[in-house]
Amino acid sequence: MDSGLLEIARAHAPFLVVIAPIVGAAAIIAVRHAGVCWLIACLSALAPTALAFDLVWRLAESGVAPLAQLAIATRVDGVGAAAAAVVSLASALAIFAAGALLGERRGPETHLVFALGLCMQGGWCGALYARDWSALFVAAEGAWLACVALIGLRSEKDRAALNGAMRMLISGGAASAFLLCGLAFLMRALGDARIEALAGVRLAAPAMAAAGASLALLALAAKAGVAPLHAWVGAALGRAQGNVALIAGVAGLAGALAVMMRVGAYASVDARIGPAVSTVLALLGAASAVIGSVQAIGATNVQRMAGYASGAQAGCLLLGVALGSPAGFASALVQLLAIMAGGAALVGAMAAGGAKTLADLDGYGRRAPLASAAITAAALSFMGAPLTIGFLGRWRLVEASVGAGWWWAAGVVIVVSLAGVFYGGRLIERIYFKRVSAVQSSEFTARNALLAPVLVAAIAAIAIGVAPGELLRLAAGVAAIATGVGP
Amino acid sequence: MSAQAVLLCLLLAPLLQAALVLVFSRPPGLRDLIHIVLSLAGFVFALLLVGAVLRGETARIVFAQPLPNVQLAFTPEPLGAFIAVALTGLNTLHAVHAAGLARASAESAPARLLAFLGLCTAFAVAVALSANLLSLFVSYQALILAAFPLVAHRGDEESRTAANTFLATLLAASMGLFLPAMIWTYALTGALDFRAGGMLAGRVDQLTANILLVLFVLGMAASAMPPFHRWLTASTRAPFPGLVAILALSVLPAGGVGILKIVAFVFGAAMQDAAIASTALIVLAGAGMCVAALIALSKQDIRERLAYSCMAQSLAVVMGALLALPAGLFAAALQILALSCAGATLLMAAGTTAIITLRTRIADYAGLGRVMPWTFAGFAIASASMVGMPPFAGAWAKLWLITAAAGSGLVWAAALAAAAAILTFAHLAPVAADALASRAPTDAFKRPDGASILLAAPVILSALATLSLLVLADPLANFLAPIWTPQSP
Repeated sequence: MDSGLLEIARAHAPFLVVIAPIVGAAAIIAVRHAGVCWLIACLSALAPTALAFDLVWRLAESGVAPLAQLAIATRVDGVGAAAAAVVSLASALAIFAAGALLGERRGPETHLVFALGLCMQGGWCGALYARDWSALFVAAEGAWLACVALIGLRSEKDRAALNGAMRMLISGGAASAFLLCGLAFLMRALGDARIEALAGVRLAAPAMAAAGASLALLALAAKAGVAPLHAWVGAALGRAQGNVALIAGVAGLAGALAVMMRVGAYASVDARIGPAVSTVLALLGAASAVIGSVQAIGATNVQRMAGYASGAQAGCLLLGVALGSPAGFASALVQLLAIMAGGAALVGAMAAGGAKTLADLDGYGRRAPLASAAITAAALSFMGAPLTIGFLGRWRLVEASVGAGWWWAAGVVIVVSLAGVFYGGRLIERIYFKRVSAVQSSEFTARNALLAPVLVAAIAAIAIGVAPGELLRLAAGVAAIATGVGP
Repeated sequence: MSAQAVLLCLLLAPLLQAALVLVFSRPPGLRDLIHIVLSLAGFVFALLLVGAVLRGETARIVFAQPLPNVQLAFTPEPLGAFIAVALTGLNTLHAVHAAGLARASAESAPARLLAFLGLCTAFAVAVALSANLLSLFVSYQALILAAFPLVAHRGDEESRTAANTFLATLLAASMGLFLPAMIWTYALTGALDFRAGGMLAGRVDQLTANILLVLFVLGMAASAMPPFHRWLTASTRAPFPGLVAILALSVLPAGGVGILKIVAFVFGAAMQDAAIASTALIVLAGAGMCVAALIALSKQDIRERLAYSCMAQSLAVVMGALLALPAGLFAAALQILALSCAGATLLMAAGTTAIITLRTRIADYAGLGRVMPWTFAGFAIASASMVGMPPFAGAWAKLWLITAAAGSGLVWAAALAAAAAILTFAHLAPVAADALASRAPTDAFKRPDGASILLAAPVILSALATLSLLVLADPLANFLAPIWTPQSP
């Protein structure tokens, strides 16, 4: 009986991965009790995560996964499925961690944090499994609006939250218009609403298709915090509560980036529009890597620094996608996991001790040794230090770009690593070599419950860097499917 | 004990030492005992490893496989085993000295200081025993991170600024130059394992070989190659035990070993293709030696003078390696030993003097040799070795260096090495002579009992170690021969 149910769940995996978080969100709104809401949220986030990973595993093993056909049409491809698993994991970790703040910051909006987080997870996963361009648009917009609402949840009490949400709404609104235009161009050029049609049909207007794909990617870049289209990142993440920053800043950015990867994967491998799309992605990637790095060096608010650093890492990810090769997609998937792990470890560990700025980190090593270890792991990963997942992602990217003759991309990766040395080094120096002031010491409140998911992320950042064999095999498998050379 | 077990013990002993020193930070006696005994254990394991290499045994420890075809692995080839013995041997003496110094100076965080000394030793040995470029890179990065707290140890603003400079210079050079060179090498060869005769031999064109050599040599900034040498002056903010570790026993020697391994095992015969870059880098190293020795002459603080002096000696290692002849590689290996012995002696002597007499300015050293005869006897012997006076270690290293330079037709390089030796004489000999010959100061000691045996004995023993090459030079040449003898494919 149980195995039968499990098989049904596996057969409907894409549907469940999308719908379970949304059902969970509805249940949370009905229940409203914070503790129960957290339990529902954890279950609704973790169960789809397990299904999403199982689906990736099956895909990488055999190239196809037998799935039931439903009225809500889904399309499972290598990059989308793998990215959905990573996004689900990021969301599950963030939602689990957010529960640690229930005790002290419980308010009328507490349950909404979980509900909106789940909506965001379901939305981004929907965009990653969408069969049609229109479904992708609807799902992505739903996820984005959930993210905006999450940031603006405390706007009654905190003007910074309102400011952040408004900035997101304005830049996201403009991006949505571009996304709609781009997808409309694509559908018009393809004469078909299905995403997979891009790989098969004869293009009536390749130039229009290229413009459409480029517009869509630029719009998604604005939602993913990719520089220079990231005007909202500082305002939204800088003063957000730790749990909100964790959900919106880690899972939200990862989701938008993942959808970008998926669209980019379809567009960049197509011989007719690939070169133009690759150019857009490469320019965007290089700009984001450099601008994000410079801004991260200058940031004194660590949540803001994490946002900018993620933008810099996202630049590396986009360079991998721009290559349009299996090696490039594989490096991008590793990079996505690196962004997720590093971001979750950094933002979560800050939240665990109630720290926000660099000055708050003075003497953190003594006050919160485990959280400090997590920040150190994140900083090392952002630097691209050996034996971390950050190093692995960048190594694979440089290898792929050198193989394609993109030597300049290797230069960009080095710029990101060098910048990482500066801002990552600054974090480590503050934590271990600055003395804590009496005021900081008296104000310190440890939220140990938050540490479990944070440590999972930090350990993953190191463990995958030390033994990456399985991850690389999976990444290579799904990337090969994306480029049509897989099984 | 098998070679494999010995290698594992050698790699883990200093790590264990660091951990136990932190765990048993009190009572101080137990902490110091652990520090010294495990340092000695490391030396014993290194000697056993040399024995295993002499018997032709092989070993390979693999800790991880972070990339396809690339492992985080360590193996005892002759050069690595030789350097491991030299560093762990001197580290045993330094462990005694550091424990004594921590007690005499009433150090505020002695356990942390000793633990990071242990970590530095662990990673310096790992650099020497690395089996491939990735392992070298990982060990080198870990060494930088382990040495950083030593520079920042005092915790004041000046120390933190210096530590940031230290970290930024070394990490930026390794990330910005060494890492790209490593990835490029991987792209060319599909592997990173060291190979006698050179893994790049026959696989690179001249342009690539020249660029790669520049990236590797400048990226290994721990060798103090200009213009990435600012970390060296920054490191003088470290307390004396930290300074000894950084300049004589870990970071600076590791830079030399790294370059030596790259030239011997990565380039090998491909050095002929990189002739333009190697000549340019030899000019830079030669000029750097002279300028560093000249700057040392202008420094009145003993730490700064010795730092520049050590820089000049380290650049001699780089020059020897870049000459790429067997004689040059041998000279570089000897020079690492000479630098470590003499540098450790001088810095330990300066540390003893600073703690016992509160004197760090060179002008205040006059006559101290009369009240601290053992310490300044060691100082004088080490100075002679740095200058290159026979029969001390520095003499043999410089003799081979000048021979190799002349042998490769670069007479000007030999002249630069000789000029640097004269300038070293100018900045070290008067200090030693003044300390030994001038009238003793009336208020020499801060402490009424003077320097304890813990502070005096290591200085004199490490000074005596500079005589080791008198008997060891010839067997050492035979032992190290495999590094310049290409393997048959």
